[in-house]
Amino acid sequence: MGKKNIYWKGFEELNEQSEIVKNLENNEFVEKLPVGNSEGDKNHNRRDFLKYAGFSTAAAALVGCEGPVIKSVPYVVQPEQIIPGVANYYATTIADGYDFSSIIVKTKAGRPIFVKGNKDAQSMNCTNARINASVLSLYDIYRLQGPKVSGKNISWKDFNLSVKADLDRLLSENKKVVLLTQSFASPTTEKIITDFTKKYSNIKHVVYDSISNSAALDAFQNSYGKRALADYDFSLSNTIISIDADFMSDWQGGNYSSGWSKNRVPNKGNEYTMSYHLQFESNMTLTGANADNRVMAKPHELKQALQSIYLNLRNQKYNGPSLGPYLDRYVKLAVDSIKKSGKKAVVISGLDDVDSQEIVLMINELIESDAFNIKSPKLIFQGSDKDLLNTIDELKSGKISGVITAGINPSYSLPNADEFSEILNKLEFSLCFTMKEDETAMNSKYLAATPHYLESWGDYEFKSGDYYLSQPTIKPLFDTNQFQDVLLVLSDSEYSFYDEIKNNWRTNILKGKTWGKSLQDGYYYSYDNISPKRIKSNLNLNTLSSSNDGDLDLILYTKTGLGDGQQSSNPWLQEFPDPITRVTWDNYLTVSYEDAERLGLENYNVSNGALNGSYVNLSNDNFSIKVPVIIQPGQTPGTVGLSLGYGKTQAMSEEMNVGVNAYRFYDDFKRVHKVKVTKVKGDHEFACIQLHNTMMGRDEIIKETSYEEFIEEDKSVWNPTVMVSKNHIETKVTSKEVDIWREFDRSTGHHFNLSIDLNKCNGCGACVIACHAENNVPVVGKEEVRKSRDMHWIRIDRYYSSEDTIRGDVEAKDGTSGFREYRATQTKLEKASANPQVVFQPITCMHCNHAPCETVCPVAATSHGREGQNQMAYNRCVGTRYCANNCPYKVRRFNWFQYSDNDEFDYNMNNDLGKMAINPDVNVRSRGVMEKCSLCIQMTQKVKLDAKKEGRRVKDGEFKTACSESCDDNAIVFGDINDRDSKILKVKDGDRTYRVLESIGTKPNVIYQVKIRNSKKI
Amino acid sequence: MSSHYEAPIRKPLVLGDKSYGDISNDIARPIETPPNTDWWIAFSIAMAAFLWGLGCMAYTLGTGIGSWGLNKTVGWAWDITNFVWWVGIGHAGTLISAVLLLFRQKWRMGINRSAEAMTIFSVIQAGLFPIIHMGRPWLAYWMFPIPNQFGSLWVNFNSPLLWDIFAISTYLTVSLVFWWTGLLPDFAMIRDRAVKPWRKKIYGLISFGWSGRAKDWQRFEEVSLVLAGLATPLVLSVHTIVSFDFATSVIPGWHTTIFPPYFVAGAIFSGFAMVQTLLIIMRKVSRLESYITIQHIEMMNIVIMITGTIVGCAYITELFIAWYSGVEYEQYAFLNRATGPYWWAYFLMMSCNVVSPQIMWVKKIRTNIIWSFVISIVVNVGMWFERFVIIVTSLHRDYLPSSWTMFSPTFIDIGIFIGTIGFFFVLFLLYARSFPVVAQAEIKTILKSSGENYKKLRDK
Repeated sequence: MGKKNIYWKGFEELNEQSEIVKNLENNEFVEKLPVGNSEGDKNHNRRDFLKYAGFSTAAAALVGCEGPVIKSVPYVVQPEQIIPGVANYYATTIADGYDFSSIIVKTKAGRPIFVKGNKDAQSMNCTNARINASVLSLYDIYRLQGPKVSGKNISWKDFNLSVKADLDRLLSENKKVVLLTQSFASPTTEKIITDFTKKYSNIKHVVYDSISNSAALDAFQNSYGKRALADYDFSLSNTIISIDADFMSDWQGGNYSSGWSKNRVPNKGNEYTMSYHLQFESNMTLTGANADNRVMAKPHELKQALQSIYLNLRNQKYNGPSLGPYLDRYVKLAVDSIKKSGKKAVVISGLDDVDSQEIVLMINELIESDAFNIKSPKLIFQGSDKDLLNTIDELKSGKISGVITAGINPSYSLPNADEFSEILNKLEFSLCFTMKEDETAMNSKYLAATPHYLESWGDYEFKSGDYYLSQPTIKPLFDTNQFQDVLLVLSDSEYSFYDEIKNNWRTNILKGKTWGKSLQDGYYYSYDNISPKRIKSNLNLNTLSSSNDGDLDLILYTKTGLGDGQQSSNPWLQEFPDPITRVTWDNYLTVSYEDAERLGLENYNVSNGALNGSYVNLSNDNFSIKVPVIIQPGQTPGTVGLSLGYGKTQAMSEEMNVGVNAYRFYDDFKRVHKVKVTKVKGDHEFACIQLHNTMMGRDEIIKETSYEEFIEEDKSVWNPTVMVSKNHIETKVTSKEVDIWREFDRSTGHHFNLSIDLNKCNGCGACVIACHAENNVPVVGKEEVRKSRDMHWIRIDRYYSSEDTIRGDVEAKDGTSGFREYRATQTKLEKASANPQVVFQPITCMHCNHAPCETVCPVAATSHGREGQNQMAYNRCVGTRYCANNCPYKVRRFNWFQYSDNDEFDYNMNNDLGKMAINPDVNVRSRGVMEKCSLCIQMTQKVKLDAKKEGRRVKDGEFKTACSESCDDNAIVFGDINDRDSKILKVKDGDRTYRVLESIGTKPNVIYQVKIRNSKKI
Repeated sequence: MSSHYEAPIRKPLVLGDKSYGDISNDIARPIETPPNTDWWIAFSIAMAAFLWGLGCMAYTLGTGIGSWGLNKTVGWAWDITNFVWWVGIGHAGTLISAVLLLFRQKWRMGINRSAEAMTIFSVIQAGLFPIIHMGRPWLAYWMFPIPNQFGSLWVNFNSPLLWDIFAISTYLTVSLVFWWTGLLPDFAMIRDRAVKPWRKKIYGLISFGWSGRAKDWQRFEEVSLVLAGLATPLVLSVHTIVSFDFATSVIPGWHTTIFPPYFVAGAIFSGFAMVQTLLIIMRKVSRLESYITIQHIEMMNIVIMITGTIVGCAYITELFIAWYSGVEYEQYAFLNRATGPYWWAYFLMMSCNVVSPQIMWVKKIRTNIIWSFVISIVVNVGMWFERFVIIVTSLHRDYLPSSWTMFSPTFIDIGIFIGTIGFFFVLFLLYARSFPVVAQAEIKTILKSSGENYKKLRDK
């Protein structure tokens, strides 16, 4: 580069003295231009008149056409690190009392817009739907925008003075105050709270986890003397026995599915390992849906099974109530598998009684489980049910005069929330640190507006020795102060929270790593590697009952979408379909077929396909509530499930106010309760995005094989090449002969493929939300979802088997002959089995090389990219919807209405604050156009341009999509198959590769890996 | 072209003791007399329906296609059903005027004018749907291959929707020209009879200066023949191309090679039924029993019966092929059509289109006006459901069961459909009072050969 070519303009240039050349150098034009002097020139002629008239008319018309004025303020001084169009990334940490993860935040023009797991961190680096969606909660218009006293806005200075005066008075009168907070797992916060309670000795700190982990914490404390949770690394075990532990969702803080998925694909190279996962449970959970064998049992049977497993392992006899033959067989299978695997086995449990949790710890110790980690246990939850119940009793009896809450919403999440609110309302002193004017805030006097975690500083010790830092990724949007900063002010400290963290880390935590580096990384590790000593060796094994008084067992659970409910005004999460039921915008009672029939409950589809369900009255001794019903295949008869986290009413828009508050049933913070269920009149309208639950025995959608078959047989048995008939000759679908298209040369440049491994995908849906955030996918609301108009670019189809197994469905379908039998079989296949096998299948646009959508668009708005993508030119689309009709995968989404800036769709894209979450690299689609997955073309283009600027080839692994990036289980692999060393090429050429509906000949660029089931038959 | 002799065995096509003057009087009467109350009532109802439909279209335009009952799985339903239905109805006109002209079927002369008018009016209705069903109808002109300044953007010649545009616009143009050519001598007749100067002026203008010279007649005959030749392939091509919208797709139930002949037969079937409906009323209201005779009605009934049978054959062939193909999606698509949640639509289609025309084998029924009228309505209901069944039941359950859903129309869907029916009748009612509704010039050419009184004279 660098050398500038100079072109000759004429021979005259040879003559150096030429005047023309000199003139040319000085003037652009050699001769004077015939421009008239407009001021004094009176020789306007007819043509001038026409020109002026034309110009003025056009100008006047243009003024009339002017679009709406959008005010924007330019930077007066451009911030150094913000370059328009270039993203900045910050490592930080989320710890909101329910989700705990080290994350990377992408900011664009100073706005955080995307959250992903911090893959450099060794542990606690996974994200889920809630963490991915948390970026939108930052821009919630219902946030509290500044401190308030008794409903009036006030300055922070006055606020602090007023609070301090009150606290000093309470101290001098020696009146008790409770500081009720979430689990912070933060060393510096702990220090600050200690200093604070030292100064105000009348203040007692009590930790309240809205979803209690107290049983497991107590068990660990009883056994090892430390209040913590054992950690598990499932990648080190090949037998996983889970008794009601939903470890793929939020069990004990989550972060487990990535370890599980590492051991789920048998390598056909030297060793053929694949873990065996046996799940005993009552509700149909995400984990149970992914298990190799799933055993349905009632809660008390689960305890018995666990005890029986333990005693069998010790070669002792189980003397409790009989398990029955069904459960007995599986207990035996569990014991045999554990014995066979030895150290490679692990047992976990989600039962919320201390005895069971102690048994689990004992079993893992007994078998010396590799996966079992107590050297560095989890510290993320600290709450104790006993302390909390005591505190509430004290509150009731009036012994406490003041309450300070932080990071929690007890007026919503306590079982006796109304009573609590009443007490809170009457208290002498109530201070609420909150982001929202929620139920608790409404009943408190002082409201301290706190920032979102993306605007905050923080430090954490999630596991012993695992330290994390969080840093603000944006200047606080509102007049907020962190809880810790306010405590410091109240404790008369001259330091800020940031100073305290820095000091604390420098003096107490960091050894050999600088503060700056730790902040950049977001984590710091320092293990002491000492196993805690067991302090209790006898187990309580004699408290089992088999009592069954005919009432149903209610099992409360948390959903993958909303969790404990603190983000329930997040439209992405409300519209997120539950992985199991695929219902959005609701919670509901899950009921088994058997109980539904007995109680006369039904689910049915109305004329536009939408799902309706009966209502029931759910009641215990002191409370009753009207709940809609979903009949759930796999629900243990005699049990019903209801999710927590819904039914919040304050600080959110009307549309978000959905579901019922199940915390009312969370008595004593136990998940299981006896309830009465009676049918009541009326039907509930659900917004369910999958209305048909089985695969109808179709074997081209999801291919699966058994572990044994996978190892013993050739690929042609379990993943045969698809054949189609040409002139009555069976021909490979890949052969040129059955191809009616002229292929163009794809060997140069990039050619993108996306592979989805059905063995690793557990259906958690983190990718769905990641795609929402990256691609500005609109939220359409309950009514529209109910009309089957959801807009998700990636969806996770969930199918139940109709026979006992998915393969059984295929065999049932293939085995029919004659119309009558065919019809009867097809009708039967529509209904899911009572304890079905479940499969999850993420579906995006398949980016077919022979795309049916491309040929039918009359205006060529959708056409094939040079790199394999099927592209959508939104501004060319006229909206005939022909492409969507002709898509065999039904992945195209139409903008039925204007979803942004429309009061009918009052979600994040209808207010300026919510719009800050919009990714500026992707446009917001207007009404009347078709949209769909683009394979995150904005991300691949960025990678290409960066490589080009740096003058290098793109490295493997650089190409990513939002979904592949958000998949902690590495189920989604994306890359360039023209890169011979790429991972995607290896995956694509692997034996397990197949394409959905290959016989149609669409030749998709999205490929799938055959699912392998390690199910054992007894 | 036509001799004055016709075999005595043939039944007369013009009944009663009609002279040339009588014919002129009969045809000109509706134009020259003010409309009666019945006409006004009918016109008001049609106008109200039309306005309602306009309102629904405006609402759609204002808010979005979401006001219809469509969803992510069923992207077309009433819109394209109505489109195909109206295009199908249009087919009878061209068949009657062009194909029957080439085959020298003189009975066509009594009905061709109205049949062609119906064609044009229904193609106008059909043409509305591809425009209003778009997400962004204000960009409808992008569907035409117009040289533009958008860069190198051009239409996609692979798309059947584009073929539709060519097919429909060609069809509309040729039909209109054909219709108008036939109208010229008749307009001239009205012009010549007109007493009011403005009427004389208007009819003079639209008769393009027809003078009735021998040269005019010669050219008239030539042009008619040429246009008939041009229009005949259109009878086959238009609905063939409309069927390509479905046949070239990959959706089970759409992807069918039988569609072109099946659609053409269905179109003629429904078109004749509509002609029947309209003419049975019109011959009564406008007192045209002498020109549109029971024989005409019987002839049309025979066409309806034959095309209905062809359509029935196609339905059964589809079922057979679904089974014979061994393709599971195809098999399920047809099982679902017949026994799935939309079984009632399939049942209506089968009973209206296949069973009901079969009773026309009985001569008493096919020469009975009430029966003919009822069946003509039944057939059009059935043909609407045929398109609904093809479009909706194929889409609502295709390959991946996860996307299966249902369709239910909103009042906007229904309103727009009723609006087009209203619009159609508005046009037709106006036509009935301002256009010569029977091709009187042509009728006059056969009066001496096929007129009842002349036949009687010959018999004596």
